[in-house]
Amino acid sequence: MNIAKNTKRTTIGSLLLVFLSVTCFLPMAQATMIGTGQMLDHSQTQQNRTHIKTLLKRADLAAQLKNAGVDPAQLQARVDALTDEEVAVLTDQLDQLPAGSGILGTALLVFLVLLATDILGYTEVFPFVKKTVNLN
Amino acid sequence: MRKIALLAILLLVSACASAPQTQQLITTPSNLPGRAELSHTPFFPQQRYQCGPAALATSLTYSGVNIDLSTLIAEVYLPSRLGSLQSEILASIRRHNRLPYSIAPNMRALLSEVAAGNPILVLQNLGLSWAPQWHYAVVIGFDLNRREIILRSGTDERHISDMDTFELTWARSRYWGIAVLSAETLPASASAERYLRAVVALENTQTSHQRWSVIHTAYRTALSRWPNNLIAQMGLGNSAYQLGELDVAAQAFRDAVRDHPNEGAVYNNLAQVLMEQGQLDAAEKQARRAVALAGPYLESYRATLAEIQRAQKVIP
Repeated sequence: MNIAKNTKRTTIGSLLLVFLSVTCFLPMAQATMIGTGQMLDHSQTQQNRTHIKTLLKRADLAAQLKNAGVDPAQLQARVDALTDEEVAVLTDQLDQLPAGSGILGTALLVFLVLLATDILGYTEVFPFVKKTVNLN
Repeated sequence: MRKIALLAILLLVSACASAPQTQQLITTPSNLPGRAELSHTPFFPQQRYQCGPAALATSLTYSGVNIDLSTLIAEVYLPSRLGSLQSEILASIRRHNRLPYSIAPNMRALLSEVAAGNPILVLQNLGLSWAPQWHYAVVIGFDLNRREIILRSGTDERHISDMDTFELTWARSRYWGIAVLSAETLPASASAERYLRAVVALENTQTSHQRWSVIHTAYRTALSRWPNNLIAQMGLGNSAYQLGELDVAAQAFRDAVRDHPNEGAVYNNLAQVLMEQGQLDAAEKQARRAVALAGPYLESYRATLAEIQRAQKVIP
């Protein structure tokens, strides 16, 4: 348990180092320029002050993506392409958010229900269900 | 047990599913054409579980990006989830210097975009909320008379869905639909708020010189439709500043000052640019205006003013 925790910590730590060394996320180099995002959304006011926190979240997400099977060479670029808001949501819900896959296998009961709803036109899971009832 | 009961009830109802928005589109007259199809939209058949990269490739290629499927798989596919997440789809669009514009969540907005020549990347739940089958596809056409939606979907190059069924499956993602735009184009149903949110998101991710020039163009595009929009004027100035084009930046902030004389942030940014141009007295005047207007960024305005005054002492 402890070993697993430590390993995770080490992973996040090393990823954080990568982020700190490579990344510069401040949208405005000069502290005195007001950024466009700040005008649109005043919650971005504290951007500079939460910079370190944001980097921590990014490193955490990178570690999670690594565990999820993403090629380590892709981690940095994938996390960099996300906004702070998106990073926050993904860090907390990587396992719950909808993941578009196309059709996955299903259990028998689920199969029967989806077959029925497919026939009725509430769902569209099975390609072999042709819409024969067309009242137009 | 409850699920079996539900099944029984569903089987007893013999009528075909009908969806409210589709019903309304069919019955009330509108300025939508009866049918439209963007037949020249490319097609990338999906490999196992990879409808996300396939739909992305379709939309990006249509918008003029030269891309292959394997690159996109590396950018968005999440092996442990056997699929792709919405945020990563948006992020990938941004990585290719395109704007992911999130359309208004309804059927009319979807069909208007398609009629105007923008295929829409959608997320559907083809199953039910408790047995989800999440799926990305690209809507490329519709036929109101036949009550059909036409998609590039999965391994079907021209997949035809019953419009009511499509609406029900799309509603389960809360009508998530994305137009992939180059910086020069506006969506047909564009709202300033939605468009600018997409540009600001581009600005809030890792930026490079090339990216800043895309952002700059997008703000110009926004101003062509909403000439007095404060965010677009600020964005134009800020992106010009990032590109080192101080004259363009100063002009953008002057336009913003003219249209929005009570926004301290605009005076502040104008002051910063003027200072860097060496016009210290003019800069001081603008910075004082910002400080006088106060507001949430007062600290920054004071910092700007102090910096200008320091410079004035060095170069009297």
